[in-house]
Amino acid sequence: MAEVLTLPPNLPKSQNAEVGASKFCPGCGHGITLKALANAVDELDIKQKTVFGCDIGCSLLSWNYLDLDTVQTHHGRTTPVIYGVTRANPEAIGIAYMGDGGGLAIGSQHLVNAAVRSERMMIVLVNNTNYGMTGGQMSPTTMPGQKTETTPYGRDCEVTGRPAKGAEMVAAIANPEKSFVARSSVSNVRKLQSTFKKGLINVQNGGFSFIEVLSICPLNWRTNNVDTLERLKTMEEFFEVKEFLQGKSEQ
Amino acid sequence: MTETLEYKGYKVENVAGGKADFYVYTDLCKGCGLCIAKCPKQCLKWSKEVGLFQTPAVEPDAAACIGCGACAMTCPDSAIRIERK
Repeated sequence: MAEVLTLPPNLPKSQNAEVGASKFCPGCGHGITLKALANAVDELDIKQKTVFGCDIGCSLLSWNYLDLDTVQTHHGRTTPVIYGVTRANPEAIGIAYMGDGGGLAIGSQHLVNAAVRSERMMIVLVNNTNYGMTGGQMSPTTMPGQKTETTPYGRDCEVTGRPAKGAEMVAAIANPEKSFVARSSVSNVRKLQSTFKKGLINVQNGGFSFIEVLSICPLNWRTNNVDTLERLKTMEEFFEVKEFLQGKSEQ
Repeated sequence: MTETLEYKGYKVENVAGGKADFYVYTDLCKGCGLCIAKCPKQCLKWSKEVGLFQTPAVEPDAAACIGCGACAMTCPDSAIRIERK
């Protein structure tokens, strides 16, 4: 039977333990991503000077997940808010946390300009290939043939175009000397955590970091635990998982 | 932050040949089953205990578990802790 345990769960220091269970759906990739991000912040010991900005969508449910200074912005406007913070306070390390809708659809103008100027900030774009909070509609990154609420016969690239590849786009336009651009996946949490750490080190050295995280959405994909990870494997074949630009990510 | 938080759950003692204890926090487990899919030894199964949403939590087969921690690492809600002795 369930009893009160003396040993607390192994939560990162930067995670807000007081809120209890997170507000994400069962099996959501946001929990894995944020846990890895919190562990990376803990490893570098930068909790006191980190500013975390979250977008509208499923990613806004992270507003009280982390024990960091948090700002919740308008849809797609996380990028300008966070580089505004880091420009006003040169000590601060800004993290902009958004989904694929906030980064590549409504917020793509800010993403493009922040990447061209290579602002001193880290952007984390969580890509789950649909709009999760509104019920699983087609998003810019929906894979060809994927069934969603608005593409019930599978995404037809003749009509809706090809999926957006955020990391390739940012790598093509960002300043290669001070930009760290990578794509990672929640299937390998250790690798994800070390990628976040490299991104944060690059920001500490005055650079721009962009990390796209391939994530999972079991509720809107309508998959069980095994099929979810199988779908993630097909995503990893379609979206290449690698580091595109290194920047100044070496310590 | 001063007062200590209490967590409900259960523990399976002496997994991995008596080298570790396996803790499951029913206040945090949402029953997604990612740990079952990720387990390299396929030794996790659904438990009779229920988690946060009254869905089954998980429990390991104490003899087969090797205490690698893959389940604890992949859990989105940190509901599993493996404490090595």
